[in-house]
Amino acid sequence: MFQYLLKRLCLAIPVLFGVSIVVFGIVRFIPGDPAQIMAGQAATQEAVRDIREALGLDRPVPVQYAYFLGGAVRGDLGKSIYNGAPVREELGQRFPRTLRLALSGILVSCLVGIPVGILSAVRHSTWIDSSAMIFALVGVSMPLFWLGLNLILIFAVRLQWLPAIGYETPQHLILPAITLGLGSAALVARMTRSAMLEVLRQDYVRTARAKGAAERRVVNYHALRNALIPVVTVVGLQLGNLLSGAVLTESVFAWPGVGRLLVEGVLTRDYPIIQGSILLVATSFVVLNLAVDLLYAFLDPRIRYE
Amino acid sequence: MPRRFAPILLVALLIATMGLPQQGQAQAPAGGTLIIGRGADSVTLSFYATAAPDSEVLAHIAETLFRLTPDGKIVPNLAEAAQLSNDGRQVTVRLRRGIQFHDGTPFNAEAVKWNLDFFRNPDNRITYRFLVSEVTDVAVVDPFTVRLTLARPFVPLIAHFTHDFMAMHSPTAMQRAGLRPPLGEPYGRSPVGTGPYRFKEWIRGDRVVLERNPNYWGAEKPTLEQIVWRSIPDDGARTLALESGQIHVAVRVPPRETTRLALNRALRVDRTSSLRTIYMAFHAQKRPYTDPRVRQAFNYAVNKRAIVQTILGGAGRVSDAPITPGIVGYSPIMTYQYDVAKAKSLLAEAGFPNGLNLTIHHPTGRYVQDAQIAAAVQAQLREAGINARLATMEWGTYLQFTGRGPEQSEVELFMLGWGTVTGDADYGLYSLFHSSQWQPAGNSRFFYKNPQVDTLLEQARSITDPGRRTATYKQAMDIIMKDAPWLFLHSESQVTGMRREVSGLIVHPTERILAYNAKLGPAR
Repeated sequence: MFQYLLKRLCLAIPVLFGVSIVVFGIVRFIPGDPAQIMAGQAATQEAVRDIREALGLDRPVPVQYAYFLGGAVRGDLGKSIYNGAPVREELGQRFPRTLRLALSGILVSCLVGIPVGILSAVRHSTWIDSSAMIFALVGVSMPLFWLGLNLILIFAVRLQWLPAIGYETPQHLILPAITLGLGSAALVARMTRSAMLEVLRQDYVRTARAKGAAERRVVNYHALRNALIPVVTVVGLQLGNLLSGAVLTESVFAWPGVGRLLVEGVLTRDYPIIQGSILLVATSFVVLNLAVDLLYAFLDPRIRYE
Repeated sequence: MPRRFAPILLVALLIATMGLPQQGQAQAPAGGTLIIGRGADSVTLSFYATAAPDSEVLAHIAETLFRLTPDGKIVPNLAEAAQLSNDGRQVTVRLRRGIQFHDGTPFNAEAVKWNLDFFRNPDNRITYRFLVSEVTDVAVVDPFTVRLTLARPFVPLIAHFTHDFMAMHSPTAMQRAGLRPPLGEPYGRSPVGTGPYRFKEWIRGDRVVLERNPNYWGAEKPTLEQIVWRSIPDDGARTLALESGQIHVAVRVPPRETTRLALNRALRVDRTSSLRTIYMAFHAQKRPYTDPRVRQAFNYAVNKRAIVQTILGGAGRVSDAPITPGIVGYSPIMTYQYDVAKAKSLLAEAGFPNGLNLTIHHPTGRYVQDAQIAAAVQAQLREAGINARLATMEWGTYLQFTGRGPEQSEVELFMLGWGTVTGDADYGLYSLFHSSQWQPAGNSRFFYKNPQVDTLLEQARSITDPGRRTATYKQAMDIIMKDAPWLFLHSESQVTGMRREVSGLIVHPTERILAYNAKLGPAR
């Protein structure tokens, strides 16, 4: 187990190294000059050149990469081109906010998605099943910003129960978590349903029923545990998505997290910010994948790591 | 166990992140704190500022020598008066006495000299140093008088001193903290000025907080305890936050929301015209746009009034000059009236009886409804036989694409805006229409050249008599309008939503919201 963990962690190094090269290359291929954007429309070319020099953007790209990599290995991701803030500091402030949002979103999606999926499978081909799947379809297709704005309209503007924007208190978390969670809840529900349907048809479930176990116990204990493996995979991937893709939700709720930082970074061609954010997201994906793999063993004792 | 494990882990993690240090207050208490919601955060609060999100905050902290009033007058601020020598090459500025910076440093001639010398010094690489490029020396005459020597007479200088990027900062604070190009870090993160509000806190990407300066020198003392600017990038969310009462002011309300907001009794919608002119420019050195008849034909083919009425919901003003009212030197010149027949005949005269094809480049999300306006222009041009293809670009790419020299530039017709933020015609006309200002040396991305215009714009720089100066600009603008290097469109209005309890707020034509005299009271 420990060896497996070590092996996986070692494998993460080339992955992240590859990510760093790709990201570094791609951001420099995007047309648009950060110095020009920073200087603004009214700036002279001389002023733009000054900024480019001050930022070290006049150096050859491989040299810039070497500086970046050298810094990154020591945990220094450089400074934001646009506002001079150290990238690590900026990410350090924003990542916990995004993590909080993503975890709440996942909590919502599990609390809604798994029970709906189970119910739908147990009441297969009834009106409950159909309505649950319609809910899932609507959930998957609903644009996040639309949902978010409507939730604000109802709960913040009309009912005045919850704040419209901000991130400071647990109340601020409710609307963005629902916005973020409902979309993936739909996905989790569909996945739970199909996994449950398959498991419920298995022989051991029939055996459990035959030996007189209560239906509740059959579903919750015998079937669900085995059905959870594909669900855990989906939830893990969704969490990764929410960590990197909470961009719209963060914009709508003025939630200053990593997603918004990344979008603003792209708009201003803030290379260090883009590189740092994507590296962070890539790292979280690597960690999450590992966590999901390890979780399998808890769920299914037949799975061993060597 | 495992089944229970995952949710427990999740909840534990969630609680762990909740326990992290919280920044800022929950809902800031209303009454003493005015909260303004805007689209973007500030970048630097120093000489190195380049955009409105910086200048609107700076205007409350650091003050300028002169001030541009909302109705376009230049009045003394930290300066008491300025006097021009007979040859126009020396400006003597008398300063107000008894003023201190927020850190206790006295405001005097030495402080002004320190500020101006730092700003002018090419080594400091300040983007806007061109504002004082004509100043060759700053001398302290007595503790409250400075004398500026100019390379050549330059009347707009006083107008340039109204620019927020040229506000006076405490030399002590700047020396202590240090300013590094290109952003004036670290000083630019905690500026010290003489203004009615002091810098308190800045949480990047979220908010800037200022607090009242109890020792403010001005006659009108600030009454708000705090002013908070919050970044809410989504237009819709910003408007909803205003409706929910979480913010008091929402900057740049989308035109489609104004009717709905007007029905809300708790809110007010303010429309103030801006000094920003929106236009489409021709590459004036590229055939067939070298021919003024072709350029005029485009101007006749587009119904500007319809664009302002429908796409902007009336929040704009059809251009009748290259600059807008409220700018020193403005005069109404003319508007090309919508006339498709005339457009067609001009095109035929110029040798294009069957119309022509071209590409219109335009940004998206930069100006109010920019993409929609470009589409409307495209549709209207078609009626005159002009087939335009639209090419949309995001701002960063666009700036670079349109910023090439005359030979390399690929543009034919492209949309841009220009805000004459100094409030003086020189900044709006010389920078764009003088032939010395072509990219990459200057700011003209459309390469217009008319020797007569060049001469008039040069002359106007040294005419001290306001009447004569305005007349000279009028002459230049007459020629520019006839030459039509632009497809003249409109000037934008700033649509600002505010709650009724807010009073005394100034929406300035330079696109800044000034709250130093604002008050929060019972809804009015």
